[in-house]
Amino acid sequence: MAIFKTMDPAHRRYVIRTNLFMAGYVAVNMAAIFGAFDKIIGESAGVVLGLAVAAPIAGQLWATMSLMNESDEFVRALTAKRFIAASGLAMALFSAWGFAESYGNAPHAPGWLIYPLFWGLFGLVSPFLKSSR
Amino acid sequence: MRNRLRDLRTERGWTQEQLGQGLGVSRQAVNALETEKHDPSLDLAYRIAVLFGRPVEDIFDNPHA
Repeated sequence: MAIFKTMDPAHRRYVIRTNLFMAGYVAVNMAAIFGAFDKIIGESAGVVLGLAVAAPIAGQLWATMSLMNESDEFVRALTAKRFIAASGLAMALFSAWGFAESYGNAPHAPGWLIYPLFWGLFGLVSPFLKSSR
Repeated sequence: MRNRLRDLRTERGWTQEQLGQGLGVSRQAVNALETEKHDPSLDLAYRIAVLFGRPVEDIFDNPHA
């Protein structure tokens, strides 16, 4: 809470938006895990459930874009740089895994893993990317 | 980009937070400018010049001169 108070308004809005979208993401997933949607899982209607779970992800990416839009030029440039690095690494790693599945016997990795992988990599690259150049 | 921002700020007894408020940027941005981790846009460079009442080239070394 103390950290939240020291944040600038753009970061405060980002934290609030992220928490709201992630609460939706967790709520729909938990409901699915505990059987609330068992009747449609595995059916065509399950696609709607998949889209419902993915919607907060799009929302969270919008929150990140809004942070960049509402921040000063340094924070905007640094966030963009980290975002691009993490996206590129996530795509490279996930593509490599996909090819390992296609050409080898690597176990199947579901597509939704790209999202936590991206944010994990974002956290990993951030301490190394501190300059906007 | 090499600059005299830290000297000018401390001469006035301002914190990075106070300078950031004067310029309309975050404390992190001020720190990045002072430690040469960020080259300011032309707009920000002019804002800094106006705030300190000096020409831009008095504050930032021109790397192309």
